[in-house]
Amino acid sequence: MARYAMVIDTRRCIGCQSCTVACKVHNELPVDMIYNPVTTVGPTGVFPNLHMVHIPLLCMHCENTPCVDACPTGASLRREDGIVWIDEKKCVGCKACVMACPYGARIFNQEKGIVQKCDFCLDRVEKGNIPRCVQSCHQKARIFGDLDDPNSEVAKLKNSHHTVRLLDELGSKPSVFYIYGLEARMK
Amino acid sequence: MSRKHDEWGWMLAADFFFAGLGGAMLAIAGIADLFLGDAQTSVLGNFAGAIFIAIGAGLLILELGRPFQAFRVFMNPKSILTFGAWNMTFAIIAGLLFASFGITILPWSGFILVRKFLAAFCVIFGLVVATYPGVLLARHKARPFWNGPGIMVLFFLSSFITGMAGHILSGYVIGESSWFIAEGYIVSSFSSLVLQDLPHLTAIMLLFQLIFWAGYIWIKRSGGTEREAEAAQRWVNGDLSASFQLGFILLGTIVPIVLLLFTTPAIHSVGACLAILGGAIMRYLVVRAGEDRTWLPGEQKYRSRLPVGDEEFLKVWK
Repeated sequence: MARYAMVIDTRRCIGCQSCTVACKVHNELPVDMIYNPVTTVGPTGVFPNLHMVHIPLLCMHCENTPCVDACPTGASLRREDGIVWIDEKKCVGCKACVMACPYGARIFNQEKGIVQKCDFCLDRVEKGNIPRCVQSCHQKARIFGDLDDPNSEVAKLKNSHHTVRLLDELGSKPSVFYIYGLEARMK
Repeated sequence: MSRKHDEWGWMLAADFFFAGLGGAMLAIAGIADLFLGDAQTSVLGNFAGAIFIAIGAGLLILELGRPFQAFRVFMNPKSILTFGAWNMTFAIIAGLLFASFGITILPWSGFILVRKFLAAFCVIFGLVVATYPGVLLARHKARPFWNGPGIMVLFFLSSFITGMAGHILSGYVIGESSWFIAEGYIVSSFSSLVLQDLPHLTAIMLLFQLIFWAGYIWIKRSGGTEREAEAAQRWVNGDLSASFQLGFILLGTIVPIVLLLFTTPAIHSVGACLAILGGAIMRYLVVRAGEDRTWLPGEQKYRSRLPVGDEEFLKVWK
């Protein structure tokens, strides 16, 4: 069984937001909903040594899932391959998972009355394709694959670089790893 | 962009309030019946406990995005919301059955052993219902104002204060409707020592509440993370400070303490009303405080740039 993960190389990301748009189009999201925002830290430093980092955010597909535990209907689920998804038929829109998610990755869809989130483009992954945001990233800043496959690019990057996970101190064990070129300046 | 996307609304705060009020009223009625004897709390108060929980459950359903699918919240035993939903259901049933024993024309009103069992169920389910909202909030690791066991204690305390205030008020209302009791339809609680002592006990609990809240805000302000301190600052001199200090602390805690020290039942009932109002304000403010999340790098700047107040435009756009 695969263990899907994503590595985001912030040294490559230029903050073009094409992943945000590709995700929004693929998932047919309303105007006021975004699964994949790209935030910007900086510019920091003193001229001429200025630095800026763009950080694509998405569902972290945690190993210890506070959102799944919080869901009273059993609509939030974690598959064996690590993908956390929502069974929309079961969701009642109580927003317990929205509040439980430390990453703000879940959004309440007012039109449908349910909560929605990034599911690593489950429909595409099941057909052997990569998520739309990864496909649309022309800088190759997003890398998706099987962590348990030592030959996969994600496994190689994770093992060869110093990667960090956001809010790792909460113990949720995210499956999204960041390569920070400028981690010292992130704080 | 509407805040409805990522936070709970006022109806959930109202659910927490009514669940706490009703749960504590049932627990108090059950404890009084088990350990102090028959008719220690008014029949109206006993019924009101169950009805308040039902009102809270109704508001919880209305808060859902798909209210007609509400039955699904009973499905995941691992979720604390499911645990709360089941306990609210049991508490409503146990509370209504227990309260019915106070109506003497009902044929089962003389079955003392059954009433005692129901009183025990009221204590168990009432305590759980009064406490679970605090536990639910305390487990949110990334919500700095909620996280930690302190909020559970504050919710429990507030539930019992509003519960006691609810019984004071119900006792007063029943006292004013004594013609109904004189007809012999319901058990009289006029000579109840519990009802007589509740105002002073409530005043003492309100004093505890004042001290606990001061400590809670102080600890959070000097707390573990910067975000925790920022979240607490909103209560001291931020956007929640006026409602907290004037509405909850002054009107909902200090004024009721003074009023409940008088000896007149009418003044007690005004104090009880204010204590209940304070509980409602507190729940609303605590739920509002959940807006504060531990931000990810750059997220605060990103969110500050999202459009605000464009709901009408988006409605037309759709």
